[in-house]
Amino acid sequence: MGQTRLRLFGLVAVALMLAAACGSSGPSTPAKQYKIGLVTDIGGLNDKSFNHLAYVGLQKAITDFNVKGDVKESKTGDEYIPNLTNFASTGYDLVIGVGFLMAEAVGTVSGQFPNIHFAIIDGAGTDAQGNDLKHANVESLYFREQDAGAMVGVISGMLEKQGKLKNNKGVISAVGGVSIPPVNHYIAGYKWAATMEDPGIKVLVGYSNDFTDPAKCKGIAVPQIAGGSDVVFQVAGGCGLGALQAAGQGGVKSIGVDADQKDADPSVIASALKKVDVATYTAIKAVVNSQFAGGALTFDIQNGGAGYAIDNFSLPADIQAEVTKVQGEIAAGTLTPPADIPA
Amino acid sequence: MAQGTGAIVARPRPPGLPPILRRVVGGLAMPLGSVVFAFVVGGLIVAATGGNPFSAYAGLICGGFGIGCTQGENPALQISNTIVFLTPLIATGVAVALPFRAGLFNIGAEGQLLAGSMACTAIGIKFSTLPTPILLPMVLVGGMVAGALWAGVAGVLKATVGAHEVVTTIMMNYVAQWLLRYLIIGGPLQLASGTSKSLPIGPGARLATLLPSSNSLIVFGLPASVYRVHAGLFVAIAAAAVFAFLLWRTTLGYEIRAVGQSQRAARYAGVSVRRTIIVTMLIAGAFSGLAGAVQIAGVDHNLTDKYFSDTTGFDAIAVALLGLGSAVGIVLASILFGALHAGGSVMQSDAGISSNLVLVLQALILFSIAANFLGAMRSLIPGLRRPPGAPPPGSPAVALMTEAAAPPPEGTPVK
Amino acid sequence: MTALSDILHLLVTANLWQATLTAAVLLLLPALGGVISERSGVVNIAMEGMMLTGAFFGVVADLAWHNPWLATGVAILAGGLMALVHGVVSIRFRADQIVSGIAINIFAAGMTVFLVNRIYGIQDVGHANQNELLPNFNVPGLDQIPFLGQVVFQQNVVVYAALILLVGVHIVLFRTRLGLRIRAVGEHPQAADTAGINVYLIRYGAVITSGLLSGLAGAFLAIGVSNTFVPNMTDGRGYIALAAMIFGKWTPFGAFVACMIFGLGQAIYDNNSIIHVSPYLLSMLPYLLTLVVLAGLVGRSSPPAADGIPYVPGSE
Repeated sequence: MGQTRLRLFGLVAVALMLAAACGSSGPSTPAKQYKIGLVTDIGGLNDKSFNHLAYVGLQKAITDFNVKGDVKESKTGDEYIPNLTNFASTGYDLVIGVGFLMAEAVGTVSGQFPNIHFAIIDGAGTDAQGNDLKHANVESLYFREQDAGAMVGVISGMLEKQGKLKNNKGVISAVGGVSIPPVNHYIAGYKWAATMEDPGIKVLVGYSNDFTDPAKCKGIAVPQIAGGSDVVFQVAGGCGLGALQAAGQGGVKSIGVDADQKDADPSVIASALKKVDVATYTAIKAVVNSQFAGGALTFDIQNGGAGYAIDNFSLPADIQAEVTKVQGEIAAGTLTPPADIPA
Repeated sequence: MAQGTGAIVARPRPPGLPPILRRVVGGLAMPLGSVVFAFVVGGLIVAATGGNPFSAYAGLICGGFGIGCTQGENPALQISNTIVFLTPLIATGVAVALPFRAGLFNIGAEGQLLAGSMACTAIGIKFSTLPTPILLPMVLVGGMVAGALWAGVAGVLKATVGAHEVVTTIMMNYVAQWLLRYLIIGGPLQLASGTSKSLPIGPGARLATLLPSSNSLIVFGLPASVYRVHAGLFVAIAAAAVFAFLLWRTTLGYEIRAVGQSQRAARYAGVSVRRTIIVTMLIAGAFSGLAGAVQIAGVDHNLTDKYFSDTTGFDAIAVALLGLGSAVGIVLASILFGALHAGGSVMQSDAGISSNLVLVLQALILFSIAANFLGAMRSLIPGLRRPPGAPPPGSPAVALMTEAAAPPPEGTPVK
Repeated sequence: MTALSDILHLLVTANLWQATLTAAVLLLLPALGGVISERSGVVNIAMEGMMLTGAFFGVVADLAWHNPWLATGVAILAGGLMALVHGVVSIRFRADQIVSGIAINIFAAGMTVFLVNRIYGIQDVGHANQNELLPNFNVPGLDQIPFLGQVVFQQNVVVYAALILLVGVHIVLFRTRLGLRIRAVGEHPQAADTAGINVYLIRYGAVITSGLLSGLAGAFLAIGVSNTFVPNMTDGRGYIALAAMIFGKWTPFGAFVACMIFGLGQAIYDNNSIIHVSPYLLSMLPYLLTLVVLAGLVGRSSPPAADGIPYVPGSE
């Protein structure tokens, strides 16, 4: 997939999102009611992470358009194919798979139903080897999590460098769920940006191997804080809420992920955003407006699909200026956060 | 055992039913009653929390059996999904039922299944260029060996030092899960850096699907490749038959049942209790490992993180009990549980009831069987009370483990 | 091997042992319950389900009433109710106790998520605020003792309760008449019955107590360590408590030692930001360790003689 095609789809995404945000066109009144099927991965709808966000996007679409939405929660991994197939075989207009765990399942089912539209969050329809099958009826919704990670990395790095945080030992940290690409992209951007702002900084990275149990991520965060970390970045969905809690109890700062987690704990100063809800909404809107196109859409800092939010905290002006500057440079392409965690 | 000495209440016998039919009906009554009980209580729970039990169950039946579908679901597809779900349950159900007969409780079927999957995948990857007639038996046998070893650990520990097999098998389950993660995340079987799945097995290791796996051939209105039913179904049914043969027609089977009935009596009869325990666990593990290997060979073709959340081995416990430990019963119970699994997601999207209700139903079935609620309820109804002196009905697990020499109470299937 | 020296360095820090004790208590409470239950002759592998139920209802109550103490009470009761179901099915209906235990675990797993869906819809369960959680408490004076002070006396209130319960259960079981009765019922129920002990009452009491303790553990997990409910958040701790109980030969202090070992494994693993070992192989250690102990040291670890056998009067 060439850069130009990516950029083109990025522009389409921007246009669609602007339209969505402004609501200028208002709900069109097609005679047809569109059926949208959402298949979650095993995290379930209450995962406090992207399954939930996808559902939020679906709900907004139901409000704005003449759309009927149904959900199938996959309790186990062997339900991905049956759930996708069930939606496809009953004539849903768009079948959305949430999460890259479903990549192969989407690849298989989209091949069986070339006339049904599919969208997949965080992945592509692949074969068993992981190669993108590039089916024309599959829209991949990618996110450059590293962009969002970089934003909060700038904030963390500068705060630590300015020496006003509790431990002040030049250490920050991240708690990952499992060592998979979406998680590692965030951490990569975070570490890269923090190091750029504070070259001597040390970034501790630990994995809980769990996306659901808060006690586990709390367990990972506590030694990090004891080891001097002043900012704990959680990249572990529902589990990561425990890390935020640990930060609060340890008197240090924390950063939320995927959605704005300002209410999760008073220690949260920022959140790295991955607008899965916007992406889901965008995909549905494309179908409703008969503008669905296969291929990849990338949501990044440039088109607002990845971003950050400041929570429970008033960001000093100089840090805000730096964040805005780095954001502009990433959007323009002069700076590129890595996808893999730098050494 | 003397029946009804001084008994005044004679139990009414259904007139004129041929004995074999009476036995079948009697045999089915308890499991069926348990299922009905579970659905009734489940329906009450749904209703009490504001849901509609009828649409919930309609969704379950549609998803499980393709009957009465209202949203245009394809019946053939639903049935196919059910069959795919039930296939591994048969062999793992056997893996639980066989040790029951020896008085052992195999909670480790899940770990043994994982061991089989891992072995199958590893062999299927390492020898991926070999052709089907060689590679397929290799992976299946490899799965059986791995599963046998997994269960064998628990068997040896039980036989030699008396370690409780419930605990040892649970430990082995966890070891299997972590080994799986090690292999596919950053380990030797991993597909590519950053993924959490394995390389695919070679084409020679695959079990063929019953219908050609083609996107263009249309069968029952859908491309043939959506029907994932595979030859592993026959392997599973064969396994059930082997189980029945083993248990009832071989010396080993006799020894297993003897040990289950009374270890002391078996020892007097010259049976080596230790050897029997170990062999029983080895064979049980082999069945479970075979189920795991068949899943990889027939459905997944690679190891993925889906196995972190797999519950087949635990469903198998319910299947073994509901099936009253017999081969036919296990197959029937597997059909029910496969249907429940397939039906849950249809229930969720059609009726809006969380598919976790299926777990609640499973638990209720287990409760009912364990407690033999049906038998207890019978004793409360005059006219159906047992004559004094008749033995109290035991739970089926007890019945499975200790077949009394006396004629079994009515309701326990006689083989 | 730097990983090994990393671990050795870690082993001398108070932080590690503080985390170990916390993790151990989450196992100790259900393990104590298991000890009591099985000493009276009722096999109980339902700790997992009872703990999960306690966790769920504890969170629901805390979110509704904003009071962790009340919520903990609810959690304890919920665990007790689940245990009552297990008790009725096992004692009154003479069901196979292992099957009943498994059924409880499956039931709890399904029911809690089902209820989350029914009560909260497909929304967030929500979380409790910091001041609505079971608090940590530093014991004044004692917490200044070097090393031990941090490990033992800077913990959550539930940890202190658990340690007191540990001693209490030991004393009751081995130093009181009640304990003697419980153990008699577990070893030889017919003789106990003849001696006038109410076997059913003792067994029901023991099973319900195990539920109460597991419910407390669930509350600690959900509104002490965490601040919300997540499906299956107990994550197998009930089963590990079972192993700890057997490890410890059905004694409270024995189980405690085992819980500390498992807690240590968890605490070491939690340091994987700093020490670099394969996390998966490391995670296997506690389970392999249990197997080794069961094979070697413990030898013929025998449960109470009548453990798992439903009591039928006059059926000796």
